Amino acid sequence: MLVIRRKAGEAFHIGDSIEVEILEVGSNQVKIGIKAPREIAVLRNEVYLTEHQNKAAATAAAALLGHLGAIEKSK
Amino acid sequence: MPQADTQQFGIIEYVDEDVIAFPLGLPAFEQETSFLLVAPSKTKPLVFLQSLGRPELCFVTLPLEVVDPNYQLSVGAEDLAILSLNEQNLAAVGSAKDARILCLAILSLTDSRPTANLLAPLVVNLTARTGLQAIRLDHVYSHQYPVEAFACS
Repeated sequence: MLVIRRKAGEAFHIGDSIEVEILEVGSNQVKIGIKAPREIAVLRNEVYLTEHQNKAAATAAAALLGHLGAIEKSK
Repeated sequence: MPQADTQQFGIIEYVDEDVIAFPLGLPAFEQETSFLLVAPSKTKPLVFLQSLGRPELCFVTLPLEVVDPNYQLSVGAEDLAILSLNEQNLAAVGSAKDARILCLAILSLTDSRPTANLLAPLVVNLTARTGLQAIRLDHVYSHQYPVEAFACS
């Protein structure tokens, strides 16, 4: 993982199209501004993980039932 | 009586009182705002969240207390407002004092093993028939919590 130290008001770039600026640094929170093309999805980590899990769950119903049945039988 | 076409259960009949509104949809499924809770006795304690808009969309869930009896629920103020709930309601969840609030964990398969998303439980206000997926901001619980054996009736 690349680690960069920045102060409020400073920024960095990811490729040619994404700019990330540190707007404010608080005692337990930082405020970040992101400029990115519309087609680049910017999601908080927990939302990204939940979207991913929901997509996986949506297609797993039938397989899940088989697995849960197996768990039950193995008890 | 209205009927719902579902891939999982075929055609099922329901009453309007069975419909739970998810005003925000679910992350990655924001368009789906109406779901039925289906809990067949033979697969108890599983609860299925069947989309009314998409017959093939059905989430398999377990009540939070089945997955983790010690789960500490945390729901943000904005989410509570959408659910017409407050912190006092929340404190009563799981203490059997408030059967009007249902908390479910969505199951999926991770490396072919069943896991539950404890990072983002479903919280349903059964009185208001409103639900949402309450994504936690802390990193206390896993989005892929292994589901151990549980008693199916």
